[in-house]
Amino acid sequence: MKQCLMIIILGLMSLFLAAPSFAAEPIKIGALYSLTGGMSSIDTPSLRGAKLAAKIINANGGLLGGRMIELLSVDAKTDQKAAAIGAKKLLSKGVIAGIGHSDPSFVLPSAPLFQKKGIPFVTSGATLPTLPAMIGDCLFMVPFGDDDQAFAIADYSFKSLGIKNVVVWTDNSMDFTKTLSRFYKQRAKEHGINIVLEDFFMMGDKDFSAQIARLKNASPKPDAVFISAIPNEAGLTTKQIRENGLTLPIVSADGFDTDLLVTVPGKELANDIYFSTHTYRADSRPVVTKFVKDYEKEYGVPPENAFAPLGYDAVALIADAIKRADSAEPKALKNALAKTMGFKAVTGEISYTRPSRVPVKGVSIISVKKGKYNVEEIWFPNTK
Amino acid sequence: MKINRPLYSLAIMILFLIVFAILMKNMANDYILSIVSFTGINIMLAVSLNLTNGFTGLFSLGHPAFMAIGGYITALLTFSIEKKPLFLPDLPQWMVPVHLPFFPALLVGGCCAACVALILGMSVLRLKGHYLAVATIGFLIIVQVFLNNADSITRGPLGLNGLTDFTNIYWVTGWVIVTIYICWKIKFSSLGRSMLSVREDEMAANALGVNLFYTRNFALAVGAFFAGIAGGLWGHLITAVTPNSFSLIMSFNIVVMVVVGGTGSITGSITAAIIFTLAYECFKPLEENFGIYGVGEIVMSLILILILIFRPSGMFGADEPAFVLGKYKHHNFN
Repeated sequence: MKQCLMIIILGLMSLFLAAPSFAAEPIKIGALYSLTGGMSSIDTPSLRGAKLAAKIINANGGLLGGRMIELLSVDAKTDQKAAAIGAKKLLSKGVIAGIGHSDPSFVLPSAPLFQKKGIPFVTSGATLPTLPAMIGDCLFMVPFGDDDQAFAIADYSFKSLGIKNVVVWTDNSMDFTKTLSRFYKQRAKEHGINIVLEDFFMMGDKDFSAQIARLKNASPKPDAVFISAIPNEAGLTTKQIRENGLTLPIVSADGFDTDLLVTVPGKELANDIYFSTHTYRADSRPVVTKFVKDYEKEYGVPPENAFAPLGYDAVALIADAIKRADSAEPKALKNALAKTMGFKAVTGEISYTRPSRVPVKGVSIISVKKGKYNVEEIWFPNTK
Repeated sequence: MKINRPLYSLAIMILFLIVFAILMKNMANDYILSIVSFTGINIMLAVSLNLTNGFTGLFSLGHPAFMAIGGYITALLTFSIEKKPLFLPDLPQWMVPVHLPFFPALLVGGCCAACVALILGMSVLRLKGHYLAVATIGFLIIVQVFLNNADSITRGPLGLNGLTDFTNIYWVTGWVIVTIYICWKIKFSSLGRSMLSVREDEMAANALGVNLFYTRNFALAVGAFFAGIAGGLWGHLITAVTPNSFSLIMSFNIVVMVVVGGTGSITGSITAAIIFTLAYECFKPLEENFGIYGVGEIVMSLILILILIFRPSGMFGADEPAFVLGKYKHHNFN
């Protein structure tokens, strides 16, 4: 009986939540982000960015002649079960599109449910390049793929830094970091760069002295070290390498796109670092400066990291497709999304022209010299 | 004894579950259905862990490890043959054509989990008390490390995804009924009584001719079998399995359900599993409308602390409540 009562109460609760407001019917977009748990430092800025985009669009009169965007957010709790239930919850509320997640392990349980219903899902932060192939034609990516960012920094290490011998450090606990190292090594070998030594660590490690000792004794002497890590280890590894008197260039990808890179080691030690990331940080395009200004006005702090503009772009991308399709039907929306060409997002231009349906986007190469970020070049993938 | 009350209660409950499942299937939306399915899986986990931790008094924290074994094996067996080359390019050749329908795959998954439990039990069940808890945590970590690194079979930390969503409310209800029925029958059989005797006083039990080692191993293996089945259902419900899904946190959650319900009480495990699963969802509207994310976890932890202070033996203690047992009372040890 208890069970039955609980279910009835639960049902009523969700009915109330789903009750539509009776003004011009809003366009419902579901947002699935992990607002609690390990992913929250990355996902919360994304949701704030997405909310900001919806607010700005609504303030300018909404879409399709006055229909407002309603962003329904569900906490995925850094948990796959919660991500799957959350997706079902959003779908049962009649969303026309979903956005969310900054890691493939949460996209994989939730996006297929959208795919099954034929409703597009736009991931704002997951960079696994095989995601669209794994899930189907309803999945769209806002960021570039891991292959692009790894190729970009590998090309830069070879052409601009003139690296001949490199040491590769990999965080062995995440799929993202392992994939990144794999693509970096692949491109490095194509350029004839010699991989002197491979070393591993785990997420949450605090002491890298063993790896540093091996790095010091590596022979032939490496010209640079590639570190495949997420933000928490970015600052720590840099600090410890520099404190041990090693001055060789450190190269990495968007895991290093964090203020921790300078705040942890301090300005003096945060030197000679190069990483590839979303074209956003230290960028002066008008769309970027406008976003940063709006974000500061709304939340009182500058965007925490690149995931804030990525969340913003996910909503803006959907809004753009709704305008072009002139409809808020999932099927028309999906087709319009697939035809996206040269959409000017905060994190760069998005076009879905590749067969893999990973967006063709510019990748920023950023250098850090004495704590100062500077865009060195914008790398573009070579699309066949 | 004319009326066998436990069987009578059991029949009513099974009938109720079947009617409930049919009603749900026809009336509720996908979201409610998935919550109900997760509740069912949690009931299976709590009741089967109760067999190990409650009846026999072993303290096992390894339930998610058995779930992981069952989940991965079921997933690999049901994975469609066309998709295998795309998702698992490095799969050993002999595994590529192996394919089974859902039901036999579940059984194979459950049996593999039970076999692993037997092997584990042979070495580990010679330990007592806290040492067993530590050993099962160790086993859980071994399983996780294996899944993370056996890339060619498990795809490492990314896990297997794109599974067909076979699990629906009928599958879950069916398995919940089987689990409850078997655990119930074990509890009220001579085997169950020997399990309880092992828990209460192993020396006395041994003196009365109960084979301690055999009884414990049996309890661990049967618990693991249902955990393996639950893992298979779980994977095919969210259509993905990853090593991180089967974590130590999950293991604590299941133990909490058993402790709150009352170690040894099947009714208690069922009730606790229902309350715990649904309570988190009940707090969701609060979290989403007011933006206070995480309040569900805080309230549930408070409830847990309060229960442990005021009812340390759990909601129903070690026995089934009177409304389930009726006139049929058996006195074990008091």
